Parts: sequence; structure tokens; C-alpha cells
Amino acid sequence: MDKNWDVIIIGGGPAGLAAAVYCGRALRKTLVLEKKVFGGQIVFADIIENYPGFAEPIVPADLMEQMSKQCERYGVVLENDEVQALRMEGESWLVDVYQNTYTAKAILYAAGSMHRFLGVPGEQELLGRGVSVCATCDAPFFLERKVAVLGGGDTALSEALHLAKYAAEVTLIHRRDKFRAEKILQDRVFKNGKIKVIWDSEVLAFKGGQRLEALEIRNKKSGVAEAVAFDGAFMAIGTIPNTELLKNIVTLDENGYVVTDISLRTEANGLFVAGEVIRGNRRQVAISVGMGVQAALGCEEYLAALD
Amino acid sequence: MSEIISVNDGNFESFIQGDRMVIVDFWAPTCMPCRLMEPGLEKIAASHPENVRVLKVNVNENPKTSSRYFVRTLPTLLFIKDGQVRTQIVGAVNPVQIEKTLSEVS
Repeated sequence: MDKNWDVIIIGGGPAGLAAAVYCGRALRKTLVLEKKVFGGQIVFADIIENYPGFAEPIVPADLMEQMSKQCERYGVVLENDEVQALRMEGESWLVDVYQNTYTAKAILYAAGSMHRFLGVPGEQELLGRGVSVCATCDAPFFLERKVAVLGGGDTALSEALHLAKYAAEVTLIHRRDKFRAEKILQDRVFKNGKIKVIWDSEVLAFKGGQRLEALEIRNKKSGVAEAVAFDGAFMAIGTIPNTELLKNIVTLDENGYVVTDISLRTEANGLFVAGEVIRGNRRQVAISVGMGVQAALGCEEYLAALD
Repeated sequence: MSEIISVNDGNFESFIQGDRMVIVDFWAPTCMPCRLMEPGLEKIAASHPENVRVLKVNVNENPKTSSRYFVRTLPTLLFIKDGQVRTQIVGAVNPVQIEKTLSEVS
């Protein structure tokens, strides 16, 4: 494969692929590198109902397949590989992947985010043995069982609604006294007879041997902790940005996010960012797509000045 | 060209015997990461027609096979040779990562 590119986009989620369409149409030689599967975090959702332009709910995989095809239509190369290091040498960016090094005039960094964990006892040990990060993947294993969903945002409530189609009982455990999820999702949750909510509470430990048996839950107001039996626990407490590669290149905030403005440029020459690596991103497909487009247009301006 | 073979609780055993490396893809129709992994698995099946066989098991319809291997999360890939599990990958992966695992266990 060719080693020299105009733009290398790191991350093949909605932000990266939207950017790629614009880079491709600007006739820039564009490579998108994705370390897992093309689609990003949205592949964990069962349906998308709030992406403008679609009257009927859409299946995330369908949307991402269309976005991938749209990229390829404009000559963009989509490649599965993991970036090991990123650095600037002279006028070029060097991107080390497993067995290769590519050069690019500009980098568009849209590596997205990964699931956040609580970091409490038993959580990692029981991951895949009752503790899960994907309700659409694992719901069938909890048919007529008792499951918990940790979190209070869009992801948590969507996962609870999906799980309620399979499980006997779904309990949302949230650390605050109200949800921040879309009101329409809250309405569906409150009307669903299978879903109940434990407010103002945090999980202190995941208990079990071969598989998850109980969660130790503490009420933050009363301070009382108790073990409650669950067969499954789904983590939906947010994400952390994949910005490890940017550490020595741009300034990150205390949570690892890139701080930028509407231009989506960074302090490093020719390095643009988009999507969930940016501080203040509200984790919507439409926002990531918009950011991808914005960053790609900025990138094109930068490349045009080099021509 | 080799393709992915859809197997079930009834015929699974007959497909995992022998010294050919078998990759078993546990999936469900609702599992989006599973669906996005499928083109990669097709690529693997096509590029190793002689020495790798790729099977898929729908966990909704084949609970016996998934519980036999303690599969409790999707997607899960098992690498089986001579009827024995050599390794597994849990979570969505691409063909590059599958090739890497294949070269490690072959």
C-alpha cells in the first residue's frame, strides 16, 4: 500500500468517516485508520432515532456501512490498523502502524472514546462473566434474569429499554436524583413496568465467583450499603477519550480531552481533531458528523495554503 | 474460495474435529459489533481456504454450544484445533487482529 498521503484520519467512527467524505471530495489522498471495526461507539446501540433525515429509526450498522461506502466512492482508503505512534518530522507527520510507517501532510484525529469503568473490586474480574459494556450484544444471555444498568444518560436508558425486552427485571442504578438522558427515553423508562430505578446510589463492588452474583450498592444520602443480587450488570457511566497518542503533542485537560475551539485546530501544525476526543462533546452521532466536516474543511484550508 | 459456515447445536461437533484451525464466531442478530465484524471474517475465510475454517453460531438459537464454551458476551471468537480451544478473543476485532492471533496459535 502507498506510504505517502495528504491526510491520514485516525479513527473510523462517525467523525472520522464524515471528515473522510469531505477530504475525498477535496481530491486529497486520504487514508482512514481504524483499530477495531468501522463505526465507533455507536455500534453498541440498537437503534438511532435522532439522526436528522431519517423518519424511521435506523440501525447503526446500516448507517456506518453507508458512510463507509460513501467514503470509498470518493477514493478514500479505509484500513484496519492500529497507530502505535504519531510524530512530526520536518514538514510531514509520521504515523507508525503495526508493520509500517506512513507520512501525511495533515492529520485528522478522531479516535473517539472507550467505555469508562468504575475501578472498583470485582469489576474487571467479572467482565464478560455478567459484567458487560454492550446490552445489544449480551442481552440474549440474560433471558428472564435480573440485570442492573449503571448510569443515567442516553446510553444507560437505551440499554435498560433494550434489556427489558429480554430480562425479567431491569434496575437502573444512578448516582444522582434525576437522569440527564433525553426526556423521551425517560418517559419510556418510567412507563416500562419491568424497569425500576435506584437513585442517589453508587456501586462499591461487583461480587461473584465464576459469574456475577451481586452488587454492593451504597445510598449516597443515607450512607447505607447493601448487597443486591443481580445476574448481569451493564456499564453505561460514560466514556474516556482515546487521546494517549496525543499526550506529548497537544495539551490535554485533566480528563484527557483535547481543548479546542470551533476551528477544531490544535496547537500542532496540521493536526485537526473531531468527535469524542474533544472536551465538551455531548456524544451524539450528529455532533460527531458535524465536527468531522468542520475539521475536514479546516484541514483543506491548511493543505490549500501548502499547495 | 472458502466461506463462513453457519452451524448449530446439532452439527457443531462434526465441524471442529481434525487438525484444521477452526474459528467459531458467536453472534446474535441484535449484536451490531458482530455484524460489523462479518466482512472481516469473510476475508479470513477466503484467504485461508486450505487451513482455516470459519464457523458462526447464533447464540439465540444454539444455547447448548454457547453455554458449553461459557460464552456470555458477544462478539466472542474461539480458535479451536483438534477439538480443543487454543485461545479466544472477546469483543469486536478486525481481520488484522484475527490474522495476528492466527499466527500466534497456528
